Amino acid sequence: MSRRKAAVVLLASGRVLLVGAALLVAAPVGAAPEGQLTWAVHVSLAPTWFDPAETPGVITPFMFLYALHDALVKPMPGNAMAPSLAESWSVSREGLIYEFGLRKGVKFHNGDPVTADDVKFSFERYKGAGASTLRARVAAVEVVDAQRVRFRLKQPWPDFMTFYGTPATGAAWVVPRKYLERVGDDGFKKEPVGAGPYRFVSFTPGVELILESYDQYWRKTPSVKRLVFKAVPDETTRLAMLKRGETDIAYQLRGPLAEEIKRTPGLSLKPTLPTFTEWLVFTEQWDPKSPWHDRRVRLAANLAIDRKTINEAEYLGVAKVSASIIPRDFEFSWPAPAYPYDPARAKQLLADAGYPRGFDAGEVSSDAVYAPEAVANYLQAVGIRVKLRPLERAAFYKADVEKKLRNLVRTGSAAAGNAATRIEAFVLTGGLRAYGGYPDIDGLYREQAGELDPKKREAILHRIQQLMHERAMFAPILEPAFLNGVGPRVAESGLGLIAGHPYSSPYEDLKLKAK
Amino acid sequence: MKRYLLRRLSYSLLSLVLLSLTIFLFVRLTGDPSVLLVEPGASQADLDAIRQQFGLDRPLWVQYGSFMSSLVRGDFGQSFYYRTPVLELYLSRLPNSLLLAVAAMGFSLLIGIPSGILAAVRVNRWWDSAGKIFALLGLSMPSFWVGLIMILFFSVYLGWLPSSGSGTPLHVVMPAVALGWYFAAAHMRLTRSSMLEVLGSEYVKLARLKGLPEALVIGKHAFKNALIPVLTLAGINLVIMVNVAVVVETVFAWPGVGRLLYEGIAFRDFPVVQATVLLGGAMIVVVNLVVDVLYAVIDPRIRYQ
Repeated sequence: MSRRKAAVVLLASGRVLLVGAALLVAAPVGAAPEGQLTWAVHVSLAPTWFDPAETPGVITPFMFLYALHDALVKPMPGNAMAPSLAESWSVSREGLIYEFGLRKGVKFHNGDPVTADDVKFSFERYKGAGASTLRARVAAVEVVDAQRVRFRLKQPWPDFMTFYGTPATGAAWVVPRKYLERVGDDGFKKEPVGAGPYRFVSFTPGVELILESYDQYWRKTPSVKRLVFKAVPDETTRLAMLKRGETDIAYQLRGPLAEEIKRTPGLSLKPTLPTFTEWLVFTEQWDPKSPWHDRRVRLAANLAIDRKTINEAEYLGVAKVSASIIPRDFEFSWPAPAYPYDPARAKQLLADAGYPRGFDAGEVSSDAVYAPEAVANYLQAVGIRVKLRPLERAAFYKADVEKKLRNLVRTGSAAAGNAATRIEAFVLTGGLRAYGGYPDIDGLYREQAGELDPKKREAILHRIQQLMHERAMFAPILEPAFLNGVGPRVAESGLGLIAGHPYSSPYEDLKLKAK
Repeated sequence: MKRYLLRRLSYSLLSLVLLSLTIFLFVRLTGDPSVLLVEPGASQADLDAIRQQFGLDRPLWVQYGSFMSSLVRGDFGQSFYYRTPVLELYLSRLPNSLLLAVAAMGFSLLIGIPSGILAAVRVNRWWDSAGKIFALLGLSMPSFWVGLIMILFFSVYLGWLPSSGSGTPLHVVMPAVALGWYFAAAHMRLTRSSMLEVLGSEYVKLARLKGLPEALVIGKHAFKNALIPVLTLAGINLVIMVNVAVVVETVFAWPGVGRLLYEGIAFRDFPVVQATVLLGGAMIVVVNLVVDVLYAVIDPRIRYQ
């Protein structure tokens, strides 16, 4: 080899080495996954949660969907609608067509590639919450090519992505068509295959689920090798497990037990804030003969409640005091000014309204006891004499939907969506859980429903929320927190990384401490 | 004997049919399960879809007819919550419940019988009073409280035993003691009263008159006879333990039939509640039937009554 030729070869191989080194630095190649993380979960584990098609409109299944499966679009840290299996998407000018471009090279756990056909199949077999709404508005799903899929709407629907790309439904979570057709729905629940960061290992219904890292996950290789979810219905037992190191994360502990976590060295309290609000409904505000018809009385009730103290007693102060029935993290939410705790002014307002000695306000119906009891006591203190009427959840819900409850109702909602969906159910005349309505608010609601410009739509929805606040339509109480305990081995629990998501996620971001 | 057997069998079947009707109606009195399967604030369309999926939109008598016709084929239906056949779920949990029941029964007999004998032999003395206090505590302290105290003491403070779950012999210890304590107290009381009765009988007096050692009188002549009602009760209690360990299994996260029933009730999972109650009832009916038949075999007067 001549000297010149040798120099060229050397230079070339040097470049290769440099490029290789650069790639090694840039590529998300971490250490191989290792270790095990264990959760003590507050609910019984159901196999339906492994199939996105059966997402029933509760957030719980997403605890597992985030591990086993992946969606075109889903909430991620810092982004309520993060591109996941879809690299990007576009909306046609008239708002009728949504086109998604799929991420290339993504495979399911069984090696099948994720294709547009799987997306279409997953959408069409979806039968969970919101399925009827999606079907009524989506005219067709078209496979453009293996990497592109198109949703054609019957008419412009500004909330399409709210339903499709958030936990409002599980329709965007993609399952492998070929595998599912081979094993059937029941077989799929017994041995689910997805495109998420963890693959299924074993499941004992209601008792335990074991998952193992999927090293080819597109976003990054998970750091923890094995995830174990154990159903432990009793919260004291969950705490005992955490203290003994039998679990690394214990979900859902209430005030006094959470205090114990704060007192125990090595354990830490990690609260999360799901998109959940609770409030009082003045069911008789539309009846001119009722004291609640007077705005001053409704405002008095709002000023009578010491939300901060309730928060400290029930949630160690980590829940959010609320001035709206719409969670602050919802799209189009208006930051309502807080109602101060001012019992003196509440009494004055009652006197101005003609009730200087207060009045008998009947019952506060509720399907919960702790927070409503405190609220009832605060109302009592300013002269709004109420009795708490605890109802079993199903009975409460039935009576509420049938509008059979009277006086005051303590209710709440954790249904995913945005400000418009919450207003539709609870504020609009004829809404599923609305006891009345106001024509101007109804008119504004109709106006926003056809508005495609997000800015204009937001302005209208904010106006509706301002009117609700001005009229003191409700007495919002809190956005409750989930109090979770985390053990000493955990470096990153994933709790609170995704806004509004109560559980550990994304799982590929979880980390154990170095030994 | 044949007529007696047929009569007892028909009574048993009738009991099970009545139980099926009662449990079918009672679970439905508790409300609509679809509400518990969705988030508060779910749309009416979602609720209706769930009702339709589970057949809850059909008239009650149609639902019962369908339930009974499936039952005849050995099909207990599908769990609303787990979406798996209920019988499969039940059978997967049954071995755990049997293990817990046997361990708890072992503990209860180990404690209950000796303390009952001691209380009877030392009647109205210190041992008897201690036994009475033990029985009072065992019968009056709720098992969930006993369970939690045990977890706190043996698991959290001493670190000797796992707090919950299953899988190793150590996991069985605390749930078995928490469950068995109540029954130990019951067995102790029955052993004591049964021993007292036997110790006052003529043949025990005769044995003593013959000059037999006291240990032999108590161990051979009194105890063996006093044991019959205790073992009969223990047999029935074993079946009860399999089916009623709801609280203990929940506190210790023990994956048994009791916890399945708890989950069924919590989620208004009608098929699960119906199946666990019916299968538990069937076990008790079968045990009673067997006992009745054995009595009839032993004592001919019973079958001619």
